Amino acid sequence: MTTESGGRTAPIERERPGLTPEESALIVRIGVFVKMRWLAIAGVLIASLLATQVFDIRFSLVPIYIICAVMTLYNFLFLYQSRHLNAEASGWLPETLAVPLRLLLTIPKATSPLIEKARATGNVHIIVDLAALTVLLHYTGGIENPFIFYFVFHVILAGILLHYRVAYLIATWAILLVLLLVGLEYYEVIPHVHLEGFAAAGLHQQNSYILSVLIALSTCLYASAYMVTSISGELRKRQREVVALQQKGLTEKTRELEEAGKEVTKLEEGRQHLLRFLAIASHDLKAPLSAVQSYIQLMLGGFSGELTDKQKQMLNRSSTRITEQLELISDLLDISRIEGGQMVKEIEDVSLSQIVTDSVENVRAMATDKNIKLSIRMPPYLPKVKASGARLKQAITNLLGNAVKFTPENGAVLLRVTEQNGDILTEVMDTGTGISADDLPKIFDDFYRGGDREKTGTGLGLSIVRRVVEAHGGKIRAESPNPEDEQGRGSKFTFTLPHSVVIAGKERRRRGRVRNQKK
Amino acid sequence: MAPKILLVDDDPDIRDVVTMLLDAQGYETVAACDGIECLAALRAEEPDLMIIDLLMPKMDGFAVLKELEDGRWSKYRHIPILILSSVREEASRRRYELETALEFNVDDYVEKPINPEVLLERVQRLLNKNKKT
Repeated sequence: MTTESGGRTAPIERERPGLTPEESALIVRIGVFVKMRWLAIAGVLIASLLATQVFDIRFSLVPIYIICAVMTLYNFLFLYQSRHLNAEASGWLPETLAVPLRLLLTIPKATSPLIEKARATGNVHIIVDLAALTVLLHYTGGIENPFIFYFVFHVILAGILLHYRVAYLIATWAILLVLLLVGLEYYEVIPHVHLEGFAAAGLHQQNSYILSVLIALSTCLYASAYMVTSISGELRKRQREVVALQQKGLTEKTRELEEAGKEVTKLEEGRQHLLRFLAIASHDLKAPLSAVQSYIQLMLGGFSGELTDKQKQMLNRSSTRITEQLELISDLLDISRIEGGQMVKEIEDVSLSQIVTDSVENVRAMATDKNIKLSIRMPPYLPKVKASGARLKQAITNLLGNAVKFTPENGAVLLRVTEQNGDILTEVMDTGTGISADDLPKIFDDFYRGGDREKTGTGLGLSIVRRVVEAHGGKIRAESPNPEDEQGRGSKFTFTLPHSVVIAGKERRRRGRVRNQKK
Repeated sequence: MAPKILLVDDDPDIRDVVTMLLDAQGYETVAACDGIECLAALRAEEPDLMIIDLLMPKMDGFAVLKELEDGRWSKYRHIPILILSSVREEASRRRYELETALEFNVDDYVEKPINPEVLLERVQRLLNKNKKT
């Protein structure tokens, strides 16, 4: 006779939404009980038929059929119940009964009411099954039937599917039930069914036989309980460790992220603080100089009465020095602002041709004063770019201003803008004094002013240009003499803006250009 | 009658310079030290032109510009505004537009230090323009 055997895999039931993994796993296990019971019922029927028909063991099949029918019935009940297992319906009897059981076995309280309920259900299933197997044994020879050892399956299942301590409880229940059965048959309180043609008659009252079977059964059940318990206990421990490790990893990652976030906020606050500081410093440094300069201009403009030539000369010199000082302050603050990352805030869609035109206008007067020919060469349609318009204008103006400054009267300055493989090339060429080979590598350094100290300047102009260009992801270089000058004069400054800042838009009309080529 | 110009600047020397300059040209000048005085003077004097500094204590030029956008100042909206500041025009424009989400709507912008010819020319131009319209 078999009860619960086979069916080792736990098929995944329909996932119920809103359940924790532990809850859904338990519900799946209850389903496993139900499925195994079907197998057990089929097994009982097959074994009974084989025993009576093939092996010619004689016993009445009617009670077997009745028991199988009862099992089928309660299995349907369990099936229905497992499908409708939910946490809401409380006060269910097995659950109430399970509480003292849980306390007795010192099983920790389940983390959710649903788990509590599922566990109680599992207990009920196994206890009902134990009873069914006992009754079945009674009608199939009692102690004579070797399938009496099949109680081991209940123990194993309880150990695997329910709490591991339940396995010992189930083993004890099974032994008590067998003792009861064997005892009642021994003292003939209930009739003994003899398996005629299988075992010798009178075995159920043969002390040595009964004792050996009982000892074998008890040791078998407890040993199984122990083994299952230690294996599944170990497994569960591992599982908990894995979960704990994952949790720990997650917590650590979260903390690291939080810290990184705080760090970023702190840096950003520091940056904002610096920029605010610079804005105030800029104003406070410039304000007195501005006032003095304004007075000087007022005097030079003759608004405070006539000045002697000597006075005019002195005031002009003062004015020049103050202008230089104001430029130096502006340049220093510009560098600090660029380094402080302010340009990021200034990036917008700007028209490059507008910037170029404005920059040229900025130096137009200076060029006219020296009768320098100032010309622009650029394609009719330049694309829009993602850039800081103000800074780009400042950079181009600086380059043009330098070119005009270092070009003698009647010279020429040329600004040329072209597109090359999607990058934008801006070149400023002049017919000026050029840059010595010694100076050339250093001209983009801070405060580097070259050998010609006659010219005024802060020595920061080109370093600002370099910073602006680099902040846009571009590159700048200088050549002297200008390789395009036929007489080998002047110098040429070239900076590129990468195609990544170019916005492909309506302003771009020329086709056939390599547009998608990677750098 | 001489055009009346409201000058707002916290720096007494700048006020002095500009007043001297404008007086020499025969303009009538009214001076204020900050935005609050500016708004009071605007009501009291009803000037023909305002020259306003941007960075000032108490109430700065940006706040004045924002306040003037309000409906209750519509009466004074025709008065041209010239900003006189040591801050670069683009920087001021960006700051104002970022902070208020309004257009930086001024009639002219002159950067300090003051060049007398330039300032007088711009003032003259604004006054003429307003006279015509």
